[in-house]
Amino acid sequence: MHHGNQLKKFLLFALIPLSIFTVVLLYPFIQGMYLTFTNWNGFTHDKYVGLANYTKSLRDPAFWVTLRFTFKYVVVSVITINAVAFGLALLVTSKLKSSNIFRTFLFIPNLIGGVILGVIWQFIFNTALVSLSHKLGWSLFSSSWLGDTNTAFWALIIVTTWQASGYMMIIYVTGLISIEQDVIEAARVDGASAARTLWSIKMPLMAQAFTISIFLTLRGGFMAYDVNLALTGGGPYRTTELIAMHIFQDAFAFGNFGTGQSKAVLLFFLVAAAALVQVTISKRAEVQQ
Amino acid sequence: MKKFTKFGALALAAALSVSVVAATTPASAATCATKTKVTMLGTIKVEIQDQFLAAVKDYNASQSCYTVTSIPGDAKLTFLQNVTPLYAAKNAPTIMYALQEIPDMADKVMDWKGTKLASLVSPSLLAAATVGTKLVGVPSTAEAFGLLYNKKVLDKAGVDPTKINTRSSLEVALRKVKAAGAGGVRFSSIWWSLGAHFTNIYFANAGATHEDRLKVLDGLSDGTKALSKDPVFQNYLATFALLNKYNQAKPNTTDTEYDLSVADLASGKAAFWFMGNWAEPNLLTASPSTDFGIMPLPISQDPNFAGNKSISVGVPGYFMIDNTQSTAAERAGAMDFLEWLYTTPAGQQHVAGPIADGGMNFIPVYKGFTVSPKTYMAKEISKYVVAGKTLEWINTYYPAGGQDLYGASGQKLMAGKITGDQYATELQNAWKGSVKTWRGVKK
Repeated sequence: MHHGNQLKKFLLFALIPLSIFTVVLLYPFIQGMYLTFTNWNGFTHDKYVGLANYTKSLRDPAFWVTLRFTFKYVVVSVITINAVAFGLALLVTSKLKSSNIFRTFLFIPNLIGGVILGVIWQFIFNTALVSLSHKLGWSLFSSSWLGDTNTAFWALIIVTTWQASGYMMIIYVTGLISIEQDVIEAARVDGASAARTLWSIKMPLMAQAFTISIFLTLRGGFMAYDVNLALTGGGPYRTTELIAMHIFQDAFAFGNFGTGQSKAVLLFFLVAAAALVQVTISKRAEVQQ
Repeated sequence: MKKFTKFGALALAAALSVSVVAATTPASAATCATKTKVTMLGTIKVEIQDQFLAAVKDYNASQSCYTVTSIPGDAKLTFLQNVTPLYAAKNAPTIMYALQEIPDMADKVMDWKGTKLASLVSPSLLAAATVGTKLVGVPSTAEAFGLLYNKKVLDKAGVDPTKINTRSSLEVALRKVKAAGAGGVRFSSIWWSLGAHFTNIYFANAGATHEDRLKVLDGLSDGTKALSKDPVFQNYLATFALLNKYNQAKPNTTDTEYDLSVADLASGKAAFWFMGNWAEPNLLTASPSTDFGIMPLPISQDPNFAGNKSISVGVPGYFMIDNTQSTAAERAGAMDFLEWLYTTPAGQQHVAGPIADGGMNFIPVYKGFTVSPKTYMAKEISKYVVAGKTLEWINTYYPAGGQDLYGASGQKLMAGKITGDQYATELQNAWKGSVKTWRGVKK
């Protein structure tokens, strides 16, 4: 009787979300996995091909080139986004009068969709900065940053950081203000400097915020697509394609649905593994009060 | 057409407005009790979308049996990206418009063989849409690419474009226009221009017959073709180098290049531009009183070489009608609309009328056209077509996505990141093992 009640309660609350989860996430995911073992051409499939799609994917040199580029992008963007976000969080939690306004403004880039953002920044890099530098004689921006692989990489990093750090900042702000004041008070009474307080008191007590933020940025880096598409479009010479774009191109531009889908499955396991490792490490740094 | 492989076609607002149908029906048209809705994925291309949708609106008002509606896709996505979800949702559009995806669609669409429209087109223009024995699509128009020129600049420099028939005479002309103050040739570092159009100059000249040219594609797929050993390819590389040497601007791989090039050719900063007639409306908008012409890009030193006297002419896209998820009435409506568009005076006015008057400025490819294009470049193209001085669009047969790789290699060669030999190797590797879709082989 008691058991039945529990089940009823569970179903009452979970049935709708669970069925939505199954229909829009679980089913397509399993279907997607299944298709990688067939000769699916985007429309139909009529035979099993075993692991052929996976071996073909792993033999594709462009897959590895893109993957290397994506790793570089993930590592650099995780560092820049979190450094900037944490810095901003410290700034807006300091005793500034206007800190609320700053919080709002710094969050705004996150509300701009990736494609629009890409178009805005494309204009900045391709046109605005170039004509400014011709007028003022700067050499740094004399030709568009999007026209060269190395500078285009940094353009991607700049835009990603600009977009994501506002959101991460909110997470860090939440972490910072959740620290009990008496602990900080106690540190100050003990004569700890501001830097010492930050390093030994604040950061360990808000380590959870780091776990979440690093996880979100790590995942975001591997999955990044819209900024990539709208800002560089993979150019120049297809050298700034991130893995998500490579997969999309493979399937939909080249019509290789089999390898495209199996690369997507590989990416899933890669991201899952990376996130698992990161969360495990970060969890160790968290302290309980 | 700016990006003929991209799904260049779509806009939400404009497409929605099309479903508004005029209430009055001309007395002459056949009457139907209810209107059958016929869907088309996107339009023909984004540059003339409004003009196309105006034609759709006129058609819907002209009869009482069908309502053609353009369903918008995402213009940033390719044709396959847009069409596969619709098929998966059992909601396939009745009319589709594509080029390189024809082999992918062949088993899902109607056979045009024996239809009225198919009988009005010259067989050579149907070759690219024939898969096995099936006629998969019918053409929208013909487009041409080659060296565009600003007639004012050439006149001022004393250059007669009809006298340029070898690589050296092109170089002489380039020196003359530079001496007269213009900046030479605009060689755009745009991936689709370098990947699909410029490479076509090689592939179209690589064999004497259609079959010979397809054999070159076979060789690349099999990994047996050594491009560097082909004298035509060496000539092609020399032409690439010549254009690069006299390039009026620094290579620019960003999205601004097309518009900047239009501005520079229109203002006379550049005398020539390697591009196609889809740019003519843009050029005329920028400089309405100038004549812009088109001429062959000579790739060898032999003045009698046919390739030096011909421009690349081909079909930028074919109309296909779904045969797996549509009803017979929908298919009939799709056919009726396209016949109206290309065979009635009202439809032809939309197809071949000038852009300024709301037309699409298309070069007619169906027999019996009473409307003909009026612009300078369109007339020049007609002359080349009539004289048979045309190069085939082998790029139509490139494997899907192949031109993306070719475009990237071309950009690298232009920027001096790779040598001509490395370029040849990259082209060879790009297609090694490709499924021979040009032979009708299914993926």
